[in-house]
Amino acid sequence: MTSPLVEIRGLEKRFDLSGGLLEQITFKGGRFQRKQEAVHAINGVDLQVRKGEALCVVGESGCGKSTVARTVMGLLSPSAGEVHYDGQRIDNLKGRDVLPYRRKMQMIFQNPYASLNPRMTIQQTLEEPIRFHQPDIARSEVQAKVQEVMASVGIDPDWGSRFGHEFSGGQRQRIAIARALAVDPEFIVADEPISALDVSIQAQVLNLLMEAQETRNLTYLFITHDLAVVEHFGTRVAVMYLGRVCELADTKTLFAEPRHPYTQALLSAIPKLEDDRPNYIRLQGEVPTPVNLPSGCVFHGRCPYANERCRKEIPKLIATDGGAQVACHAVEEGRL
Amino acid sequence: MKNHTPLLEVKNLDVRFAVRGGDLTALRGISFSLDKGERLGLVGESGAGKSVAAFSILNLIARPGYIAGGQILLEGKDLAAMSERELRKIRGNRIAMIFQDPMMTLNPVLSIGTQMVEAIKAHRRISTKAARDIALDRLRKVQIPSPEKRLDQYPHELSGGMRQRVIIAIALLLDPEIIVADEPTTALDVTIQAEIMALLLELCEQENVALMLITHDLGVVSQVTQRMLVMYSGRIIEQGPTREIINDAQHPYTQGLINALPQMGEPGARLFQIPGSMPSLKNVPTGCPFHPRCDFATDQCRQTMPEYVRSGNVDVACYEVSNLIEQEKRMQEAGS
Repeated sequence: MTSPLVEIRGLEKRFDLSGGLLEQITFKGGRFQRKQEAVHAINGVDLQVRKGEALCVVGESGCGKSTVARTVMGLLSPSAGEVHYDGQRIDNLKGRDVLPYRRKMQMIFQNPYASLNPRMTIQQTLEEPIRFHQPDIARSEVQAKVQEVMASVGIDPDWGSRFGHEFSGGQRQRIAIARALAVDPEFIVADEPISALDVSIQAQVLNLLMEAQETRNLTYLFITHDLAVVEHFGTRVAVMYLGRVCELADTKTLFAEPRHPYTQALLSAIPKLEDDRPNYIRLQGEVPTPVNLPSGCVFHGRCPYANERCRKEIPKLIATDGGAQVACHAVEEGRL
Repeated sequence: MKNHTPLLEVKNLDVRFAVRGGDLTALRGISFSLDKGERLGLVGESGAGKSVAAFSILNLIARPGYIAGGQILLEGKDLAAMSERELRKIRGNRIAMIFQDPMMTLNPVLSIGTQMVEAIKAHRRISTKAARDIALDRLRKVQIPSPEKRLDQYPHELSGGMRQRVIIAIALLLDPEIIVADEPTTALDVTIQAEIMALLLELCEQENVALMLITHDLGVVSQVTQRMLVMYSGRIIEQGPTREIINDAQHPYTQGLINALPQMGEPGARLFQIPGSMPSLKNVPTGCPFHPRCDFATDQCRQTMPEYVRSGNVDVACYEVSNLIEQEKRMQEAGS
């Protein structure tokens, strides 16, 4: 097997909630106490993104999928763990050393209404990354590159002098994609790139992303909550719950035979066209807060198969016969 | 079926918005009916006018919008012609509404109990104690754990799913005949969405309440509703039994919407895409509003808006469909 393009090892990310030292100190029962609290957004995630694939990370709100995306891109620094790109550790790089990786890794955000600078024309928006990463390049070449990416995402190159607000949501997302493609990246992190768009526009943008993957030989880390999109788009899928990966498998395997009880529930909840009634696995309770993580398996409180071991011991991702990697004691013991 | 009056009948409704430079027509000649206990889905993309349609049923169109023509008959009485005073007796009482974002609908500074009691007392002369009992009963109906405790809690103490349950409980307070739900689960995660939709469906069946469900999600519509309307650019372009439309859509736009869903395509293959996007209300195309995006458009489509024709049990506004039907008729006549 070829070495992975991007590798995440033991990634953890905590967001401190308790503020400064003075805010942490409370006076209780006659003595001072210091209390620190943090949101545990990611708790030990290992992932490998292989060259040329689209690895989809799915999960519900608060599961840490966007934090994974941002940490990989270096927009957030990890609390623990490492991020490697093409064999080189990149999460600890500083200053100029990061720049080459910034060019190779680009990001597409969820909301094209927020990710385009309202005071820049499309031409300026698309020129900026090219000029920044290749300062010595001739003006005519920049021009040609901008024209080329605009045409490739289906935006008329003559519209360069327009501003973002003059475009519809779907067109804006195309422009955001063009901006990511402008510096010829190898790896693109897309964080819910189609969730803000209408169904007919979603199809257009998904097609565009698939086309770009083929023609430009791109690798994707695709973050989404929409499982139907994953089934269509993804090479492999990682399902996250409360900051941990609970199942990792080929898309086909995962949808044909989901193993983890959470994956099963998640898949059953997709409203399908052929259903005449809602038809899904009912989970008990709700997602616990990531401030006080449950002991053992993070899913045990809602899992119908949980036992004593699940409450105490954290399950590891273990390969199953079907080819999927599942973090579940019940699957490992053959109870499920 | 001329002999029975439906519970709600909307006839030729026109809604316009008076803005600088002339009126924008948001709804153009909308007609549909809703029977007692029936579940009707209203589908369309953003800008199609589905929310305006929902709001106009309660005559909740605020200035600069106004109802420019047509009738909204609730058991024969025209809501469009009613005074504000008379409307108040109907809103929340005979017709209840559920909105998309539960945090926006609940008052953040009042406890759940206070808000529920307030709603009951606005319509009925009963003691606070009796009102609280009704509130408690409805909270039990929506399966909220420990309902007694919830009455004294504030909206921010509940999760998104719980808040939407409270909203449904409030909608049920006065035993309405119709519930209008405008994208009730769009802000929620898939597993929570499945729970809320199943709950809404069960309650409507149990209490024989008619449901008008506005959504962009065709999967949800097929699971929950019996009949559906498809809207495009302020018009209903197709309406009929949900199963019939989902399985065999007639209008090219509806077909496109269904085929653009990732669950319809082969994994990895290009999705079917409708070119372009929904026209803005400022320049609605002449004739059929869908013609610039339609593969079957002819000069006739560009000039005049098609009338409804019936295909099976479905009403469709499309020249292509009516031509096909006539062709079939001619073939049959020639054959016999």
